[in-house]
Order: sequence, then structure tokens, then C-alpha cells
Amino acid sequence: MIERRQLKNFDFTLLVTTLLIIIFGLIILSSATHATMTRGDDQFAYVKKQAMSFLLGLIAIGVILKIDYNAFVKYSKFIYVINIALLTSVMFIGSTHKGAQSWIPIGTFSLQPSEFAKIFMVITFAVYLANREGKLDRFRDLFPTFIFFGIPMGLIMLQPDLGTTLVFIGIYFGMLFVAGARPRNVLILILIGAIIIGGVLTAQISFGLDFPLKQYQLDRLTIFWDPYKDSRGTGYHVIQSLISLGSGGLWGKGLYQGTQTRLNFLPEQKNDFIFSVVGEEFGFAGALALLILFYIFVFRGIRIAMRSKDMLGTLLATGIVSMIVFHLLVNIGMAAGIMPITGIPLPFFSYGGSSMLANLIGVGILLNVYVRRQVLTF
Amino acid sequence: MSITNVVIRKRVTRLFLFVGMILVLLIGRLAWIQFVRGEELRIKAEANRMDDIPVPAPRGTIYDRNGVELVVSISSDSVCAFPPEVKKGAPQKTARELARILGMPYEAVLKKISKPSNFEYIQRKVDPEKIKEIKQLDLAGIDVVEEKQRTYPKRRLASHVLGFVGMDNIGLDGLELKLNRELAGIPGRIITEKDATGREIPQALHEHEPPVPGNSVWLTIDEAIQYFSERELDNIVAQYKPKSAVIIVMDPKNGEILAMGSRPDYDPAQYNESPAENRRNLATQLNYEPGSTFKIVTTAAALEEGVVTPESRFYDPGFALVGGHKIKCWRYPRAHGAQSFVEAVENSCNPVFVKIGLDLAKERFYKYIRAFGFGQKTGLSLTGEALGIVIPEKEVTPINLATISIGQSISVTPVQLITAISAVANDGVLMKPKIVKTIKDYKGSIVKEDTPEPVRKVISKSTARQLAGILEKVVSNGTGNNAYLEGYRIAGKTGTAQKAGKGGYIQGRYVTSFAGFAPADDPQVAILVLIDEPQGGTYFGGLIAAPIFKNLAKDVLRYLNVTPQLNADEIKNRTEKAEVLVPDVVNTSLEDAQRIMAEAGLETKFEGEGSWVVNQQPKGGAKFPAGTRVIIYLGTQGRGVPSGQEVTMPDLTGMTMREAGQLLGRLGLQLNPEGTGMAVQQKTAPGIKVKSGSTITVIFSPPVPEPSP
Repeated sequence: MIERRQLKNFDFTLLVTTLLIIIFGLIILSSATHATMTRGDDQFAYVKKQAMSFLLGLIAIGVILKIDYNAFVKYSKFIYVINIALLTSVMFIGSTHKGAQSWIPIGTFSLQPSEFAKIFMVITFAVYLANREGKLDRFRDLFPTFIFFGIPMGLIMLQPDLGTTLVFIGIYFGMLFVAGARPRNVLILILIGAIIIGGVLTAQISFGLDFPLKQYQLDRLTIFWDPYKDSRGTGYHVIQSLISLGSGGLWGKGLYQGTQTRLNFLPEQKNDFIFSVVGEEFGFAGALALLILFYIFVFRGIRIAMRSKDMLGTLLATGIVSMIVFHLLVNIGMAAGIMPITGIPLPFFSYGGSSMLANLIGVGILLNVYVRRQVLTF
Repeated sequence: MSITNVVIRKRVTRLFLFVGMILVLLIGRLAWIQFVRGEELRIKAEANRMDDIPVPAPRGTIYDRNGVELVVSISSDSVCAFPPEVKKGAPQKTARELARILGMPYEAVLKKISKPSNFEYIQRKVDPEKIKEIKQLDLAGIDVVEEKQRTYPKRRLASHVLGFVGMDNIGLDGLELKLNRELAGIPGRIITEKDATGREIPQALHEHEPPVPGNSVWLTIDEAIQYFSERELDNIVAQYKPKSAVIIVMDPKNGEILAMGSRPDYDPAQYNESPAENRRNLATQLNYEPGSTFKIVTTAAALEEGVVTPESRFYDPGFALVGGHKIKCWRYPRAHGAQSFVEAVENSCNPVFVKIGLDLAKERFYKYIRAFGFGQKTGLSLTGEALGIVIPEKEVTPINLATISIGQSISVTPVQLITAISAVANDGVLMKPKIVKTIKDYKGSIVKEDTPEPVRKVISKSTARQLAGILEKVVSNGTGNNAYLEGYRIAGKTGTAQKAGKGGYIQGRYVTSFAGFAPADDPQVAILVLIDEPQGGTYFGGLIAAPIFKNLAKDVLRYLNVTPQLNADEIKNRTEKAEVLVPDVVNTSLEDAQRIMAEAGLETKFEGEGSWVVNQQPKGGAKFPAGTRVIIYLGTQGRGVPSGQEVTMPDLTGMTMREAGQLLGRLGLQLNPEGTGMAVQQKTAPGIKVKSGSTITVIFSPPVPEPSP
């Protein structure tokens, strides 16, 4: 229960920042979806659906605030099972979209379990690590965490959803680090992972295998180095995204004036490449403004992690922040041509109910941790 | 707990720093893309969405110094189609209508307007009538684009200076080439926007970005003076059928070229139809040996260096011996004998100039040759200017120096020579010749202005004035006498140079010229007349080029409103000429008429054949100054057309007064002229029957050029 005293501890800055990002996102979404509309359609159909998801997310925040996050400890195992179940079911009943089997249709909506899986993972992993506080010093202590984390992540890799997998890795290391694993051990783990991934990919490339990645995935992963190698195929996305961003200049072309967006040269503009719309229509200034908003968001999130009354709260906040940061890095990095094309949404921006809802639940958890922080006033 | 808390805070802070680094990395990458690569990517974005069709800019107009159009661009319209927009209308109907109006096959039109492109020309250079009809129909996706074509309202006038453009409206010669960048303008565009799939865009129709018209160029050329020069060039061609001829008129005070023309010439609108040789601008590209006109330079150097004074005495034995070579005077073997320097110039006496050239010696003489601008480009803004040929100072021999003194063994271009003469006229200051005065953009504001540029002071003012005085005497007393123009003080020098060929100078092939300026005391114009290989016996500059100079100078000076100043002799001549009554000599014999006129103090000029006077002009009873020339028309007594007989009225337009009078006289008709010049209108229309003996009124008008085409 929230008490009046706790309301004083509410992080309004975080909420307002989130709201600003979402409003900015809805404006950009209206431009991004404008292009694909034909006359007679509701010009704001996508914006309205996105706004609905947002309202749903606000309700979710309200609900989460009412539950003390320490209650997660009780439901942790249940959540972990639900997570595995959803991710498994998507492999059987999920609909395939753009090569990945990630959606579960529910009526007219479709649910994207991998979006929620990140939140579930943060909650369950936070509980898991909090219980092992101070017992992560040795390198072999990390193996159980790897298995705990690896099962859901493996299921996501199988969809296959490489972007989400990357975010998972980000969440994993972020939380592990804060939980007290020795940085040296974490680094060794990263190195081992990198060597394995590098080795597998090298093997695949040099032997011309179609495993473990499908050829198109491999192409998408490597094309960002030299998009002009296949400018009409795999490289097209990167090239058009760079053109969109670059042609925006300092102030951009103005809302609805982005030719790349309006004339549909920019692919996936309401999802993966929505950041390029910001860059084209509002220029460097707009992109910087958005990054500053996210920076404030992340700063508040870290602050919450620091002021948490217990390790669980710190880890929850760390997980959420890591998730958002890795989303930013992977998504914006992709739009800016410095990350492989993996297709994950820009938080609060990209069109998609599951993503919006999951991220707002994340905000709810952050607010929850902050509201219940240790206040040493008595 | 508190220690743990500190540890956790430390870890979280590290994480935050890491996160900050990621954000900075992203911002850096964005700045790179949006600023460093911004321009490149902006162009790519444009290229992505735009289908571009260039619209040529209208080329700038070339005007003379008074705003008379010399070269203009006129519009022609082309019909074009925007197939995606056509598709939205009724393509079949559109094709049918266009086929009918343009006289094209229906299938051809339909094929063009339904091509999978964004822009197609259907027909270019279409009649205005058809364009009007097409515009009225207002067919979907059909538009009219204006294209430009170069035209020359004055036809061949100054064709060498103006040059011409090729099919694509790019200057290929003359000022069109030299000033192509100024004249060309910036092409506009017809832009059609497309989306990623190449589909038409409902809200964005094609855009027409209008071209920026080229700058207009205002020349120093005066269209009227150019016209006078061209007329004289035509006269030269008609009389002497030379290989080529050049006339340049310059304002010596500022170096502005008022007229520049040469023969052979060509029609810039159909430049392909004349041989390339005709298109050479000889005024700047001809290397020729100036002959005696170059003695002006020799004299200037000798006077300035004090080698001679006007009063120096010389003796001409008819030739000069230089290093064993015998350089003859032009009228060898008749020697000029003893003479002053001024007389030697008047006589254009070669041996005297050879002597002073050798007295000047190499260094001093070459200093002036260079100072006057020989052997170098004048820097006139025309393409292909020649340098002239000056023997390098190191290699020059005394015999070379001797012949250079008289204008042989040295080649100059006409524009170099007129520039040098102008320096003498301009108190010794050599001006850079100019042909372009101002360049204005299409809004009329001045982009560039070419102001007079003094190059250097070649000789002192006093030497220049002294030289002008000597050159004036050449015209009033000497070899240039045929350039003498009553009322104007003309300074000038004739020149006749034997042309060099294989193995020496060729007998019978000459370049004859006259260079001078007027009025001598306050020069307004410098003129060079050059005739290369005149045919028909005479070749001396004084006989051929000087009269042409005179005719031209007369018109130019009058046109420039230079007030005639009569000298004492001329005033005396004028006042002595009392008015006399012209006697009527019609129907007398030739001998009687001549006698009667002579007694009355009038001169006579006979026209026609026969020994009986059938008409006279002016008529008997009119009052004219003594010495006036009366034209007497001759015929056969009683054999002329009897009075009262019906004759058919001829068309007189375009005839001179003399021609008209002659023709009418032969028909027994009297001419009643009004005005002067060419017949422009006759009161009795051609074809009408008139009784012989009637008087026909004909209106004459001077053939001055009109400012409109």
C-alpha cells in the first residue's frame, strides 16, 4: 500500500521524463506511419493504438506501485516458469513475422513474449542474485547464474531474436556486476563468450554452413560494416537509415517533411528505424534532445538503484536500466550503422504494444523501488 | 549493511559511467553522420526521391553600348508529358487530341505518354498556335516547356565579335564562347517526386524550378558605328575583291572598341554554312606586316628619344644601303631628295626611316616596340588573339632593324596596331582595349563593370602632340591626302606592305592600310582600315584605304556629333562660293550645257549616253553655291520618250537618287526628290501608267540602321 509519506518519495522526474519521451515518440510515430497510409485510412490509427498501449502501461504502473517489490521474492519461481512457458509456447503457436517466430496472437492483438521475458528475467534474476549476495566471488559461482539466465535466453535465441538476446546479455552482465561478481571474472566470462561466438561465426563463414545462424541473419549481422556491398539487398536498410539521419543536418527537415520517411525510402520506420525519423525530421538537435531525455531517465534509474533500501531493489533497478541502455545502444547503433541489424525496438518509441507495456512495467518497478527506499528520517 | 552499501554504490557508479560512455559514443556517431557526412547524405536523399529534368536557362542578351540588341534568345515551346499524371486522366483521349494537334501518329503519342518514366518530350519547337490549343485543352499530365534559341536581329553585323552557339546553346566562338559562363545562366529543373517503389505521389505533383537567366552583356561596340564599318567593308569587297579586310574603330581615350569587323564574314545563325576560315576574327587573329603605318611607332620612338626633331634635314637618294642590302623607297627610282623630317613622314620616305631606325638602335627601338604592345596579346576579352611576330631582340640584325623601321620584318595584329595608334592619340598613354563594358544580371543590376585601364605611358604628352601634328600634315599635304575630310582635322598614316611568301616578298601581293585618328587636336576616334591583297591594279594605301577611312570617319564623326572646325583655307573656300542661279540646260547639246554651266560657275557630271541633255539635277532656276556639281542626264535628241506618251511606273525603292533619276529620265519622267539617301517611298505606285514628262515625287531616307531587327 502506498502511504502519503511514500508519495513524497515518488520520483516525478523519472515519470515526467518517461512521459516526455512517449509524447515525442507518438509525434514521431504519427510521421512514420503517415507514409504507409493511403488516403481514406485513419491517419492516426497507429498512434491511437500506441496511445492505448501507453494508457494500459500507466494502469500497469499503478498496479505495480501497489505491490511491494519484495513480494517478487515469493512469486519469483512462478514468474520464471511462466516466462519459460511463454517463450516455449511461442515456438509452437507463435506466428512468424520477418523470419522470427515471436508473436502469440490473442484476438486482434498479438503478444510478443520476448518483450515481457526481459522484465521477467530482470525480476527473477534480481531475486536469484539477491539470495546469493556475497557468494559470487569465485569464478565457478558464476556458472549457476549462467544456467539460470541461459535457459530463457536460449529460447529467445531459438526464435530467433538476436536483438533481444543481445539485450539479455547486457542485462546479465549489468546485474551480475552490481550483484558483486568480481569484474575480472565478469570480463573472463565476456571473453569466453566472445571467443565462442567468434569461433562459431568464423567456422560458419569459412565453412559456408547454414548453422547456427541462417544465412540472411549472418548477412544482416555483417552488412553494417560495408552496406554498399549489397546496397539494394541487405545493405539497403543501413544505407537508407544513414541517408535519413545525415540529410536531417542540424535542425532536420521538419515534422512530416522528411522525404526519406514520407516517401517510404526508410524501411521499418515505425519499428526498428524510428530513430532515423527523429534524425531526419528534427535533425541532430532532435536526436540529441531524445538522447538527453533517455540520459535523464537512465540517470534517475541509476539513482534509484543507489538509494534502494536493499540489494533486491538495487538489482531490479540495475536490470531495468541495463535493459533500456542496451535497447538504446543496439537500436540507435543499428540506425547509425555501428551495430548489426538485429531488429529490436527503441523503448517508448517503436510501434508495438508489448514493448510499450513491458517498458512501462519496467518504469513501474523503478518507481516502486524508489517509493519504498530506506528513508532515514526517523 | 553500510559498508556493503558503499560497495554497491561504487559498482553502480561504475555502471553509470559505462552507460554514459555508451551515450557519448552514440552522440559522437550521430554528429559524424549528420555534420561530417551531412552534405553527401543530403544529396543522396535528394537523388533518392527526385527525378530531375533540366530546363535550360535563357541565355543572356548581348547589347551594344546604347542598349541595341545584338544577340537575343527567343523562346520556342516544347510539349512534354508526365506519364504518371497522364495515367490519372484519360490517356487515349489525350493521345488522340495531341496526335491531331501536333500532326503525329496516335500510336506514337500514346506510346510516349504511357512510358514508365516521369517525363517525356512529345514534340519540340512547336508552333505557338498549336501550343495555345494544347494549353486550352488542359490535358492531365501534359505541359509546355519553354526552350530557348539564339537569334541575331542584326544578322551578320559584328558576327566575328559576337560568335555563335552550338545546338546545345553553348558558346563556340567569339564572345559567346569567351563569356559563356556569364551568358549561360543556371538551368532550372522539372522535378518529379517519387517514393521508394517509384510510385507517383498523390499530394506532390511535378514542380517547375525556373532557371536563372544568364547575365546580359553590354559591349563597347556602337551598333551605328559598327554598321558604318560593315558598310565600308562591303564597299571594299565590292570594289577590290580582296582576300580579306578589317576595320576597327576605337575610342582612343579609354580603349573602348566602337566597331570591329572583317571580311570574309558569316551568318552566326547558320555558322555551319560558311567555311571555318570565314569565321576567323581577323581583327585580333590576323598577323600582318603593317608597312608604313608602323612608321608612326618609329617616329614616336625617334622623337621621344631625341633622335630627330621635326625640323631635322634628310636627303633621300631613293634607297638606303644597309649591310650591303639596298632598301628602296616606295617610289624608287624617283628620289625624294632633300626634305625635312616632317616632309619625310608626309612622303613616307623609306630611306629616312631606315636611317632613324638604325640611329635609334636595337635597345631603344625595341623598348618602344614592346611599350606599344607589339608581340604581346592586348588582353582584349576575345578568344584566339594572336601575338604578332617580333624578331627576338637577341637575333635582330641591322637589316631587320632597318626593315622594321618601315614596318616590314615585323607582324602585328590589327588590334595591336589600333591600340598603339590610340596611345599616340591619347597623349602617349596606352589603354587596354575593351570590348565588354558591363555585365548585368537578369534583374538588371551590374555584376561586372570593365572600366578603362591605362597600361603604361609610352611617350610623353608633348611627343604625342607633336606626332599628331605631323600625322595631320600627312593627311593634309602628304601620302594620306585621300583621307582628307573637310572640316575635320585628321591625323593618319598610310601603309602598303608587300606580303612575304616563300623566298621573300611577293610582287603584286600587298596589305594596304590606313591608320589614323580624328580630330587631331582632341581625338575622339581612332580608325584602322586594312585591305589584304586588293585586286585591280592599285594597291597603295593612300589610294585604296585612305578614301575608305575618309568615308567612315565622316559618318562616325558626324554620328558622334563632333563639330566640324573649318581651317582658314576651308573658310576662305566656303565664303568665296557665292550662290549662283542654276541655268536650265535641258534640250541643249552636251557641249552647250557644259559651257553654260561652266560660265555659271558650276561643275557638271554627266550621266547616261548620248549628246543631248534630256534632264538635269538640280533643275534650272534653283540657287546653289558656286562649284556645285550639276548632274546632266544625256540622251538622244528627239529619240527620248516623247512627252505625253504613257509609260509604266517602275519600282524605285532602294535606289540612290542618282539611280532613280537616271531610270526616270530614261522614261521621260522628272524626279522630284524629297530627302536624301535611298528611295524609301514613291508617290506614284509601281505598275501605274503615267504620262511621260510628269514629275514623280520620291522620298529618300538615309540608310541609317534602325534599332529594331
